[in-house]
Amino acid sequence: MKKIHSQGAKRAFAMLLVFGLILGMAFSQGAKESATTPTGPVSLTIATWTSNPDQIALLDSFVQGFAKSKGIEIKANFESIPFGEYNTKLSLELQSAGGPDIFWVLETAAPAFIESGLLAKLDQAMKAYDPEDISADALALWSKAGSVYAIPFSTSPFFILYNKDLFLKAGAKTPDDLIAEGAWNWDTFRSVSKQVKDKTGVWALQTVDGQGYDARVLHNLAPIVRSYGGDFWTDDGKILINKSESVAAVQLFHDMVYVDQSVVPPGNQSDFFSGSAAMTIGQVSRISKLDGASFAWGLAPMPSGPKGEAPVIGQAAIGAHAKGKQVALASELVAYMTNKSSVAAMAGIWPPARKSVLDSEAFLSSNPKVTPSQMAMAVGTSIKTGRVLPSHVKYPQIEVESKMSFDKLWQPNANVQSILNEVAAVYAKYIK
Amino acid sequence: MKQQSLRSIHRREAIIGWAFVTPQMAGFVIFVLLPLFSVFLYGMQEKNLLFGTTTFIGLTNYGNLFKDPLFIKSLVNTLIFSAGVVPMNLIFSLMLALYLGGGRNGTKFVRSIIFLPVITSGVAWAIVWRYLLQGGTAGPVNWLLAHIGIEGPNWLYAKGWAMASVIVTRVMKNLGMNVLIFMGAVLNMPGDVIEAAQIDGARGWTLFAKIKLPLLMPTVMMVTIVTVIGSMRVFDTIKLMTDGGPEGSTMVMVYYIYHQAFKMFETGYASAIAVTLFLIVLLLTALQWFSRKRISYYES
Repeated sequence: MKKIHSQGAKRAFAMLLVFGLILGMAFSQGAKESATTPTGPVSLTIATWTSNPDQIALLDSFVQGFAKSKGIEIKANFESIPFGEYNTKLSLELQSAGGPDIFWVLETAAPAFIESGLLAKLDQAMKAYDPEDISADALALWSKAGSVYAIPFSTSPFFILYNKDLFLKAGAKTPDDLIAEGAWNWDTFRSVSKQVKDKTGVWALQTVDGQGYDARVLHNLAPIVRSYGGDFWTDDGKILINKSESVAAVQLFHDMVYVDQSVVPPGNQSDFFSGSAAMTIGQVSRISKLDGASFAWGLAPMPSGPKGEAPVIGQAAIGAHAKGKQVALASELVAYMTNKSSVAAMAGIWPPARKSVLDSEAFLSSNPKVTPSQMAMAVGTSIKTGRVLPSHVKYPQIEVESKMSFDKLWQPNANVQSILNEVAAVYAKYIK
Repeated sequence: MKQQSLRSIHRREAIIGWAFVTPQMAGFVIFVLLPLFSVFLYGMQEKNLLFGTTTFIGLTNYGNLFKDPLFIKSLVNTLIFSAGVVPMNLIFSLMLALYLGGGRNGTKFVRSIIFLPVITSGVAWAIVWRYLLQGGTAGPVNWLLAHIGIEGPNWLYAKGWAMASVIVTRVMKNLGMNVLIFMGAVLNMPGDVIEAAQIDGARGWTLFAKIKLPLLMPTVMMVTIVTVIGSMRVFDTIKLMTDGGPEGSTMVMVYYIYHQAFKMFETGYASAIAVTLFLIVLLLTALQWFSRKRISYYES
């Protein structure tokens, strides 16, 4: 009897032992992977905010091209993180053991990511691919103390996309008509917007991705504010958002929303791409959303203001994880993905920062849906003269806190000057 | 000899029992207990998620909480949200349970309709309501109001209305579960007690207040505690419908924790807020628990 009991106990101990062994093996396997050099295909994880299969396939083709040139095999795992959650999820992953080896970086997050030490220096890896060809202005945001930490793969200006059919229905001059007359400015923009809304009943303008009152408030206001001679803040710490030029620009937009009622207002989900708004502010990468559009459309640069044209550029870069398992290889791949031939292949989706590609004839016809003249006028020229949005190492804090004040703008009786004074006070807390 | 054998059986059973629960316990300790205790530790650190830096700062984070206007705002908003959700949820769910427990015609259909939002995804629920509550006449709610001559506000972008909107949508989402719990209690009320009260002439409000409500009080207590805790942990409705706006008017504590931890990357400070929220919920639950003897006759 006792023997049977002790056999049962032995079985139980054996079960515990097996469980312990399984756990032990699991952990020791992890340690082994990180300690030895892999002999099979190298596995690299690449984080992006696109989930477009064509774009992922294009990126993968660069990885395979690079692997071939190195004589190795690379298995790329693409991880698509939704744009709205990108920084949050990416930073969590980068602090864990299994973070991506290569990742896209948003312009507004650039200073914080560089400061955090999560981005590897790329100077050495870039040497093989003519770094001088990348414009210094485009690299400025991604560099610190003379070293480059990420390479911009997209330097994409904002422009106006418009629905020709709605302009025709309203009997209004299109942006292209106004450009031809030399009268494409914010005043004429406002008047044609009102005309379109009054005559057709359809909203004249949808803000950037419909998020111009929330996550993309800077993208939405920057083109107007800068063309009026204002800004949010400058690199040397001057806060300009409550200066008279900025206030006048924001007042113009506010009047369009609440006086003219020509802009899709906060909380309304009317969308340009489904024909519920006559214009929107977009970038080249948004043009694919017009596939199968039920209306004729056109494309124009942003209107000019009292201080002339002030194109705003949205930038995105690609970097290598400084604490990743394959830093050197990942850095080389980043440099390869932004070399001349890769950049030329991407140019139709993500306009390049490389001068040789920008100046080429091929770039102007790189997107089959955009004519060379449109590409030259609304993209090529704007890249050369445009500026990126302001950024700061404390941008996450600035964004969250200033949104509380920006929210006050979106009421019919808002006092623009006093609200922008509040925004400036928030900026002043962080920008010295 | 016999005693020794019994001890051996007990030991054997204990070992086998431990062998069975160890994997589950290991998971619980690693994935639940350790993170829970970590939050208390992180609350005493200056910890940045992006920079990966950690410095022990004792109770400084807790001291900073009450100097932070956004924290105060989130605390007040949480209390407003709970003060709106809890009574509304309890009153409507109890009323519906009493009605549906009466065995009237069509109750099965009504019961299904009321329970439908509970099994609907919270994300889908919030997205649909965000569409329904659009400003102007674009939103179906305002479109309907316009037909009866009422100009609806921009629900999710007007201060005050935004909080009211998230409260009402949250109540509608979770009402069905409480109705179900209350119905169980209503159907289990002793029929003889109610019948005796009716013979004594108790009707309507008197019957409800003097007889039915005291009989239902233990369930009311339990549902209140669960609903209070649930309302203080609201996240998805806020994230998807208002993003904490306008002007932070719907920035509740859990959403502020998310902002601090994952938008501003201040994990240490966010943990201190999480611990504070935990203590508030604990205090409210304890208050309700210890007051049960005064409220519920079953407990006296």
